[in-house]
Amino acid sequence: MTQLDISLTVNGARHELSVGPTEMLTEVLRRRLDMTGTNRDCGMGICGACTVLLDGQPVSSCILLAALADGSEITTVEGLERDGRLTAVQEAFLRHGAVQCGYCTPGFVITSTALLEENPSPSREEIVEALKGNLCRCTGYKKIVEAVEAVARAKGDGVGVS
Amino acid sequence: MPGPWTEPPGEKFALEDLEAQAHWQREYHRIVRAIREEMGADLPEAAEGVTGTVGMPLPRNDVLYKVRGRARYAANIKMADMLHCRFVRSEQAHARILRIDTTQAEAVPGVVAVLKGEEIPPDRRLIGTLTQDTPVLAVDKVRFAGEPIVAIAAETPEAAEAACLLVEVDYEPLPVIHSPEEALAADAETIDAEGNVIGDLLHEIGDLEAGLAQADVVLENEYVVESMDHAFLEPPSGLCFLDPEGVLTVLVCTQYPHYHHKQVARVTGLPLEKVRVSQTVVGGAFGGKMDNAVECALALLTLRTGRPTTATLSREEVFTSTTKRHAMTIRQKLGATKDGKLTALDVEVLSDGGAYRSYSMIVGGRCVIHTGMPYRIPNVRSHYVVAFTNYPPAGAMRSFGIVKMAFAMESQMNELAERLGLSPIEVRRRNAMVDDDKTIIGQKLWDVAYHETLDAIEPIYERLRREIAAEPTRNGRKRGIGLASLGYGIGYSGVRNPSTARMYVDAEGQVLACCGTPDIGTGSDMSLAMIAAQSAGISLHRVRVISGDSTKTDDSGPTSASRTTYFSGNAAYICGQDFKRQIEEAVAKARDLPAERVRLEDDRVLVGNDSIGFEEACALIGEGTEEICGYGKFDPDIAMDILKFSGNPYATYTFGTDMVEVEVDEELGQIDVVRAWTAHDAGTVINPVGTEGQIDGGVVMGIGQALWERCVRKDGVIANPHYRDYLMAGAKDVPLEIENTFVENKDRTGPYGAKGVAEVSLIPIPAAIASAVRHASGVWPNHLPMDAEYLYRLIAEARGKPVADAAE
Ligand code: FES
Ligand code: FES
Repeated sequence: MTQLDISLTVNGARHELSVGPTEMLTEVLRRRLDMTGTNRDCGMGICGACTVLLDGQPVSSCILLAALADGSEITTVEGLERDGRLTAVQEAFLRHGAVQCGYCTPGFVITSTALLEENPSPSREEIVEALKGNLCRCTGYKKIVEAVEAVARAKGDGVGVS
Repeated sequence: MPGPWTEPPGEKFALEDLEAQAHWQREYHRIVRAIREEMGADLPEAAEGVTGTVGMPLPRNDVLYKVRGRARYAANIKMADMLHCRFVRSEQAHARILRIDTTQAEAVPGVVAVLKGEEIPPDRRLIGTLTQDTPVLAVDKVRFAGEPIVAIAAETPEAAEAACLLVEVDYEPLPVIHSPEEALAADAETIDAEGNVIGDLLHEIGDLEAGLAQADVVLENEYVVESMDHAFLEPPSGLCFLDPEGVLTVLVCTQYPHYHHKQVARVTGLPLEKVRVSQTVVGGAFGGKMDNAVECALALLTLRTGRPTTATLSREEVFTSTTKRHAMTIRQKLGATKDGKLTALDVEVLSDGGAYRSYSMIVGGRCVIHTGMPYRIPNVRSHYVVAFTNYPPAGAMRSFGIVKMAFAMESQMNELAERLGLSPIEVRRRNAMVDDDKTIIGQKLWDVAYHETLDAIEPIYERLRREIAAEPTRNGRKRGIGLASLGYGIGYSGVRNPSTARMYVDAEGQVLACCGTPDIGTGSDMSLAMIAAQSAGISLHRVRVISGDSTKTDDSGPTSASRTTYFSGNAAYICGQDFKRQIEEAVAKARDLPAERVRLEDDRVLVGNDSIGFEEACALIGEGTEEICGYGKFDPDIAMDILKFSGNPYATYTFGTDMVEVEVDEELGQIDVVRAWTAHDAGTVINPVGTEGQIDGGVVMGIGQALWERCVRKDGVIANPHYRDYLMAGAKDVPLEIENTFVENKDRTGPYGAKGVAEVSLIPIPAAIASAVRHASGVWPNHLPMDAEYLYRLIAEARGKPVADAAE
């Protein structure tokens, strides 16, 4: 099968790769780059477990052909922390009990990070709207929404956030 | 044959090196301390520690790895030279296998091994929990579409998948049994050699006929609940390899590693000490990771090839091959006097067990034992029949069937209240179980705070009734509220299920607490660490928990039936006490003092008139720390005569009441649950963050199962094996206002007074919603799920305009 040469910048590091025409971004991240933080479940773009940032926008990496991501910047959950510290979103998820089994967590953390980047003080409706593409079977969503609200509030108070 | 592979790097939770882990542990404890300080604690001396944490809302240690994407889920673990396994699954629901031809599959480049069931010696082919009836790989007959027939290991997943497509299986179709009714028909095709009945359980107390005769009101209804999936987000996954000592090691996401340990030994013929099953981080389970999914096939392929082998099921395979919630039909009669005293209950259940036994008998037993809970009813008859069908096996799922029993029981309680003109709270109060009441099995209850849960909900109920009376519609949608209750036995039904814990320490003061029950995502390791640390009198930050490993921990039973906080929590408590005593004795010995002059508390050791830090004490004990092993075993006296249904089936019971507010769009038949309230008697709450999370999650799962979730079974297949068609709750579909109350109570038998809580909040939800729909729209739903089509028809019928059936 023809291979396609692409370049991806993942969490700041550039990778030159040769990928198959049907290879999805999730597989490239998990298998080739050994970045297993991005989980895979449905493989159909429904559950959101595989969400990454593609040039700042959250996307389901399980239905994104790696070849189509050529030249773009990808951020995965592993790429969020800075200097050995959690981001405000990660710490809020930890503190507010927004995580149980954690399988959905990378997707929610990434989606929430993108939301707050774009809209630092979202309303509850806006948060729920942003998170509607991510499934969680454990938490019932309440504490996830509360965690995102807590970050938004802290931002409003001018408390430092990364 | 020892393999060259050692265990992949990383601890149970983290896929990173020790240095990084140490850094993040410090970060974690910094956050814990910050929370303690925000709560008003003054933490002067210890650099990292906090003591006495039971009852505090603390973040979980494992979550630190999860929010960073470093959690060690099975599918995230890689080993050099690892093979990938995929399964060929039956396309037929019921058929004889005439021929399996794997020639072409074997020729696919990259394929290393092709395994058929007939290659396993006949006495090792079958596995199962109570009864060994389930083939690892089907040999001469398939009983459901999705049943595994061949397992293939290849260098890449793609090669394994390609090879699976080239396996030819010739079938001779057999008549397919679609329902338990069909299964019980006289001329039905038999699915199992022993016939189509898995179990027929009956229990009676008092005199049913007399009880019904005494009643002023007798309600008679039929309730139907469809089959559902656990829909945990992490598909079953595992990795098997031979360690340098030749121990066959399986790392797998499971609720019960010690069970798989025995099954893998059985299937491979290896002695138990040559097999190790260790639980990886589990991405949700809810009862669906009790049975074998990949473990046994991986073990056989690893032995065959000598190479590490991994497998992860696809989402479609999860829907078509793992266990399901039992579909059930419940016919029920409830009798009561004018003043609302229950006189009789007659329950007749017909349950769909699917193609193999799995946990069917355990679910059935629990349903019979719980009949009529949490009420006093003098005359009861409970008959439960479960039969085979040609659909995926029905097994354990959050509440083991009690959510369905409660759908029937609680719906009738609400209907009774309405008939008698009583409030649903009042009718429950008049029958509610209290201390010293006996269950229908004859078990005497203690520390029951069910009444208190009704008291907690009552003012909210009254307020909402008034609010809705004043404003019965909102945005064109009808408003209603409804409530329902639960009583639930914690742990296995009627058999002893002890848990044990051990604690070790090194000369640097690092403490290891080991317990067999795995953390399946609920945070049980955190609760156990809190209990063990507090009981021992040391700081939380010293304790690292190892759980769910057949070599490093004792068999403490599964994490299921809401048992871990209570059973393993008790074991951890007893263990902590023993550990503390041993430390005190060792310090006393080192200082040549009588033992009673030494006390370990608050992370310090009082030695005579001196006070030294815990680390200093451990340094003082020095090599003697190697001899310290705290041990705790909790083994309550549970005994039940299964045939007579008498005895003490559970070590304790949890009670509760849930209430929901709904808005019904009658044009669309849509129900929206807008708010929920819960009140539970969970005893002492060990970690409010974790406990609340369990309650919220149960409420939302209950909403999904009440309103949308169903495995659509058609012509012998699951017709909706994807999230696209298996509808679950998303953030937009559920109430974010869920108010939880924990009534003040302590269970004298629980660790610090705790009971179990993991399953319970789900149980009343469907009946509470049905009752709220009645309040809003005047109809009584008696079918789960109450999806839009169902409700639309129900309302239309009630209005005298039935909807014609759409052409099939
Ligand atoms: S795995 Fe990508 S959306 Fe589900
Ligand atoms: S925490 Fe388990 S799926 Fe979200």
